[in-house]
Amino acid sequence: MLRATLSATVIALCVAGAAVAQPAAPAKPAEKWTMPRLADGHPDLSGIWTNKTITPFERPPELANKEFFTADEAKAFVKQTLERSNMDKRSNDVSDVIGAYNAFWWDRGSTLLPNLRTSIVIEPKNGRIPPLTAARSAALAAQAQAVKARCEKPGCAVSNAGIPAPADEPQALDLMTRCISFGTVVPMLPSAYNNNYQIVQADGVVAINTEMVHQVRRIPTDGSAHLPQNVRQWFGDPRGHWEGDTLVVESTNFKGEHFGRMAAADENLKVTERFTLVPPGVLMYRFTVDDPTAWTAPWTGEIPLVPIDGMLYEYACHEGNRGMENILRAARQDIKKAGGK
Amino acid sequence: MTGGSFVSRRVSAILAIGASVLLATPVFAQPKGKTPNFSGIWQAANTANWDLEAHAAEAGPKPELGALLVVPPGPGVVVGGQIPYLPAALAQRKKNREQRWTADPEARCYMPGVPRANYLPYPFQIVQGTDKIMISYEFADAVRLIHMQDPGPAPADSWMGWSVGHWEGNTLVVDVTAQNADTWLDRSGNYHSDALHVVERYTLRSPDVLMYEATIEDPQVFSKPWTIRMPLYRHVGEGAQLMELKCIPFTEHFLYDHVGR
Amino acid sequence: MHRALLPFAFALAALVAALPAAAHHSFAAEFDLNQPIKLRGVVTKVEFMNPHSWIHINVKKDDGTVEEWAVEGGTANTLFRMGLNKNSLSVGTEIIVDGYRARDGAMRANGRDVTLPNGNKLFLGGSAPPQ
Repeated sequence: MLRATLSATVIALCVAGAAVAQPAAPAKPAEKWTMPRLADGHPDLSGIWTNKTITPFERPPELANKEFFTADEAKAFVKQTLERSNMDKRSNDVSDVIGAYNAFWWDRGSTLLPNLRTSIVIEPKNGRIPPLTAARSAALAAQAQAVKARCEKPGCAVSNAGIPAPADEPQALDLMTRCISFGTVVPMLPSAYNNNYQIVQADGVVAINTEMVHQVRRIPTDGSAHLPQNVRQWFGDPRGHWEGDTLVVESTNFKGEHFGRMAAADENLKVTERFTLVPPGVLMYRFTVDDPTAWTAPWTGEIPLVPIDGMLYEYACHEGNRGMENILRAARQDIKKAGGK
Repeated sequence: MTGGSFVSRRVSAILAIGASVLLATPVFAQPKGKTPNFSGIWQAANTANWDLEAHAAEAGPKPELGALLVVPPGPGVVVGGQIPYLPAALAQRKKNREQRWTADPEARCYMPGVPRANYLPYPFQIVQGTDKIMISYEFADAVRLIHMQDPGPAPADSWMGWSVGHWEGNTLVVDVTAQNADTWLDRSGNYHSDALHVVERYTLRSPDVLMYEATIEDPQVFSKPWTIRMPLYRHVGEGAQLMELKCIPFTEHFLYDHVGR
Repeated sequence: MHRALLPFAFALAALVAALPAAAHHSFAAEFDLNQPIKLRGVVTKVEFMNPHSWIHINVKKDDGTVEEWAVEGGTANTLFRMGLNKNSLSVGTEIIVDGYRARDGAMRANGRDVTLPNGNKLFLGGSAPPQ
């Protein structure tokens, strides 16, 4: 199994607390870390980073405003989580099919974030994302209702969310089944495996390659302007600038088709990310999601990105998407059997 | 040491070198001791993606579009003119050519492999870091990483291959292996097997022109290695950027309409 | 200690529900909960690829006929990170598959639980060539 090169203890010492901390004395004085910089003087964020963690995305409600686990609480939480989420356990319901395969294929990680946060979301203060706006809520409910009506006729199948959804046309399937998006990409939220990002930085550009699905965000730091408002892209249009040693990236021009935890976002989404390298070589990543027509308030999350020893591998998806054909074939057979076309 | 024959030999040697300098070596004077910097947005401006070999203009796949979509003419980019196919492989190219409008993996929005990615009609961005060079292509979000230190062997074949680079003077030399057999070299059915081995050479001819050479070796398909050569041009000025070209939605009817029907 | 642990019972329920189960396509749309299947067969071909690896096996039926089955696995990248590669599962290795059959009726199954005859999970227990 993959291991971070830095011990969790050392990271916890240096990263505890919400702000970028002054370095505490590292456990091994020989590993004195210095900020890598490019010729232009800016920190060099290049490297391979992971955000895999079993820290919950949102804080369990009972924990209220408690931001950090104690060491003992963390140990207990990790133990119970790993037992509960062990994919080698079998049930005999649909979640077993969705469970897909043995535990070794999955790679969510087995540790909490090194600073022992109780959630990735840190604002609002209760660690939970704000409610949807009434209009957005109504629109999503109407969509769900339309799906329900559609699925009274043949050609639907149970989605990974556990509810029937159309499965007879590619455009009706989710972005993941179509191999268009396998994660949120922006912001960088952890997923079930391949939670890896490669940053290569040069003068005037920071490129971030998200392993799934080989999605490169090319972030200009040359002061250039965003694309015109009428041009929309799935992963928006990013522009970066430096505030001291922090890279600030603002992404706009989203198409409005989002995935996973960002599914409620629309075309008015704006994401602001802050990247800061801190001792002993952790990339503190903080992001704010601001979409006033979707959520009633902006929300912020934080994930220390940890370097990994290995490399990114190519994740070609569309090229090998036999699952799409298999799903369509099954759904269209169902329609034929029921007398449709 | 002395004597007319030595002098004339030296003169002709100098003349020969001079000729090759004019023909092949970049005229751009690279600052001594500094690693060349290839970062930026580049694009080929030729018809190599239509056909690597020299070709006349031809009707395109949709005659009803008239002159909107024709196969443009091109003088070819193959050094020596013709690709040296083995006889059986030439028959396969002919078969590919006959089905090119449906069988070309580019039409399916599949990642194009190397070297084709570098001469697609879409830009790409080279991001040159200290020990890694990322090349991000606009088409199909294709991307490759050039390792400047030995990464060990590839664990399996991939669409964009396994690239290991080093500098020879001012030239970046990239060794590309472990590509699968499923890409074509152009829209005319030129193809390869999974034994493909490509060696690329990138040299700045001037600040905004990057000379690109790729030597292609595949003993299952070609009788000997062969080379393509072309300039790549930098996108300059404000507003130069790659945009999102997610072509999957454009292929879904084409690929899936017939499935289960 | 016990009191400190109490909230986590609820936390875990929320956590498991919130886990991003979906980093792959809809499995229940491809494989049938109502057709659980057990296969025992010999590897003929392995495709380490994405989004899913495929392990092809020949399954000998009681009547002596041989069926060719395709077993869907996970992302090859996970295997590469474990130090495995395209040569790590030899042709001829016997494996046992406990999964669900394809909804379209083909001889295809998801490798929900794949083991070697000695009980070791595939890839964790090694996959030696046939004796």
